Amino acid sequence: MEKTVTLAHGAGGKQTSELIDTIFKAHFSNPELTADDAAVLDIGGGKIAFTTDGFIVSPFEFPGGNIGKLSICGTVNDLSCMGAKPQYLSCAFVIEEGFPMDKLEEIAAAMEKTAAEAGVKIVAGDTKVAGRGQVDKIFITTTGIGKISENVRTSGAYAKPGDAVIVTGDIGRHGCTILLARDEFGIDAKVTSDCAPLWANVEKMLGVTSDIHVIRDATRGGVGTVLYEIAGQSGTGILLDQEKIPVEPEVRGVCGMLGLEPLYLACEGRLVVVVPKDKADAVLDALRGCKYSENAAVIGEITEENAGKVVMKTAVGTKTLLPQPGGELLPRIC
Amino acid sequence: MTETIEKAKSTITGYNGKKLRIMEVCGTHTHEMFRLGIRGLLPESIDLISGPGCPVCVTPVGYIDEAVMLALEKNAVICTFGDLIRVPGTEMSLAGARSRGGDIRPVYSPLDAVEIAKNEPDRQIVFLAVGFETTTPSACIAVKKARKLGLDNFSILAANKTMPNAYKALMSSVDAYLYPGHVNAITGTAVCEEMKKLGVSGVVAGFTASELITAIAVIIEKSKTGEPFFVNCYPRVVTAEGNIPAQKLMAEVMEPCDSEWRGLGVIPMSGMKLRDEYSELDARIKFDLPKISGKANPACRCGDVLQGKCKPSDCKVFGKVCTPQHPVGACMVSTEGACSAYYQYGGAELK
Repeated sequence: MEKTVTLAHGAGGKQTSELIDTIFKAHFSNPELTADDAAVLDIGGGKIAFTTDGFIVSPFEFPGGNIGKLSICGTVNDLSCMGAKPQYLSCAFVIEEGFPMDKLEEIAAAMEKTAAEAGVKIVAGDTKVAGRGQVDKIFITTTGIGKISENVRTSGAYAKPGDAVIVTGDIGRHGCTILLARDEFGIDAKVTSDCAPLWANVEKMLGVTSDIHVIRDATRGGVGTVLYEIAGQSGTGILLDQEKIPVEPEVRGVCGMLGLEPLYLACEGRLVVVVPKDKADAVLDALRGCKYSENAAVIGEITEENAGKVVMKTAVGTKTLLPQPGGELLPRIC
Repeated sequence: MTETIEKAKSTITGYNGKKLRIMEVCGTHTHEMFRLGIRGLLPESIDLISGPGCPVCVTPVGYIDEAVMLALEKNAVICTFGDLIRVPGTEMSLAGARSRGGDIRPVYSPLDAVEIAKNEPDRQIVFLAVGFETTTPSACIAVKKARKLGLDNFSILAANKTMPNAYKALMSSVDAYLYPGHVNAITGTAVCEEMKKLGVSGVVAGFTASELITAIAVIIEKSKTGEPFFVNCYPRVVTAEGNIPAQKLMAEVMEPCDSEWRGLGVIPMSGMKLRDEYSELDARIKFDLPKISGKANPACRCGDVLQGKCKPSDCKVFGKVCTPQHPVGACMVSTEGACSAYYQYGGAELK
């Protein structure tokens, strides 16, 4: 019979320790992860970045990853965007009664692998089991801290007219993947999520210059939403070159059929980076040498005019406003 | 961009002849003209009017009222393309009906609604059939499938429309039509030839930047002769006879009827309704709906916008009371509506 998670696994007794030992400890083991009530960490001096994120993606597994991988990437990337080297994570699981044990194992294995790749340790955790129908299969919350490298100050507010706007790869893949994985449209296209941990990419950029004005990960709302946020925070305009925005043909095709704008589809492994123009080539070279950002591209520039707006230079040489998304975006993509 | 396209582009940007009123009658054209930046190329002497080509925008208030009544008073499940949910009715939109307990479900295809009827035999399922010749065939397929499955809990509320008589109704405000390529792919081009005989020019246009630029340049060049013309600029998709199986399907299931267009009033023989032999699938007959004539918000000028009598920005409520988040008129609801496109792309004010 298929082994599943039961309410007893969440009751705090023998089955709970069994679940923790066989799944979580087996995958997350490290000296700081103990049976005590909290992890004790030595993080030294300097500034710390601290963030938390909940993951409720449906379906919980999809081409290119699962909710476990996503939950590590999301928090690792949020820390990385502040120029912080991700160091420690905690994770809290809420699991629906009846969830297959082998799927939980797969999720934990993906978390182990992704955490190792990102160089981050999972040092604390919590497991709750909710009755059938009280939660949709599995939700994960991760919280993380990271050390900020010296002299690094990034924020959407620091974009300056003349700066170059870079994306670290083709856009919209995660949102498109989830859309297709739900199988509501009967569209058959080969798209995999871009879900990836990006600290190595940020570290490489910071090795080239500490003068990076903005790093943002373009998750929910996509690159378009991030650009509008940057324009708003910094009081500048952004001029995009419509033809230079990298989009996979499959993603473009699906968007065409469903009337969606790739700039508003979520990414889970793409950064928007704003750097002084004279540093753009060096940063781009560094990115292109890294896994997950081989196709990094300059897609536009920060402008003084059109403050607060994102404007597109079209293929025919005219300018048009990038419409802001309204209403309901896709629910539960991360 | 190729040399031919560059040439077409300079034909457009350099035009300074007599005023040309070009009307696009396809919501996708409206949207793409903005998105691709084609509007930015047009000189002052070209007026690009966004005509009644978005199915959501031309759906009259009374139709929304009928759907609301079916949901709230007849307890039917309303299956609809998502765009219609936010269109204001006299009292409320379908979103409003949903918040009062109505069962309103967005679907992507009429066949999804048939599937729901099959799975929920205890509920009455009504599909809101709107759209032009491009979407009407799929509603006809759904009707035939429901009949074949013997479903007695499925019906449609038909407000399907056809273009030919709308072209005639609007011809005095237009010098040349930019015909909707996807509609002509179904209907063929006989209607365009007929319009030419009536003295109204036009070209069938595709949807890419180069196809749209080419189509507008052809209108400019041909207009210089002063003679009415018709050119099919989308021959890779549109043939003279069109999609005959689709035409046959529509003729088998539906027949022409008078139809009300939001803002334009009733245009004779511009709608489609179910034939008598399918009347048990007609929601109006099945639920014995009374005749409802809805009331639009009097400040809304969607009707004038659809006829090219004013630009969206000339309407008093545009961008203030009426926004995509809180639409007053239908043209602000659909992303393909003229008001929504003007608002979202705000092209005019860019530096």
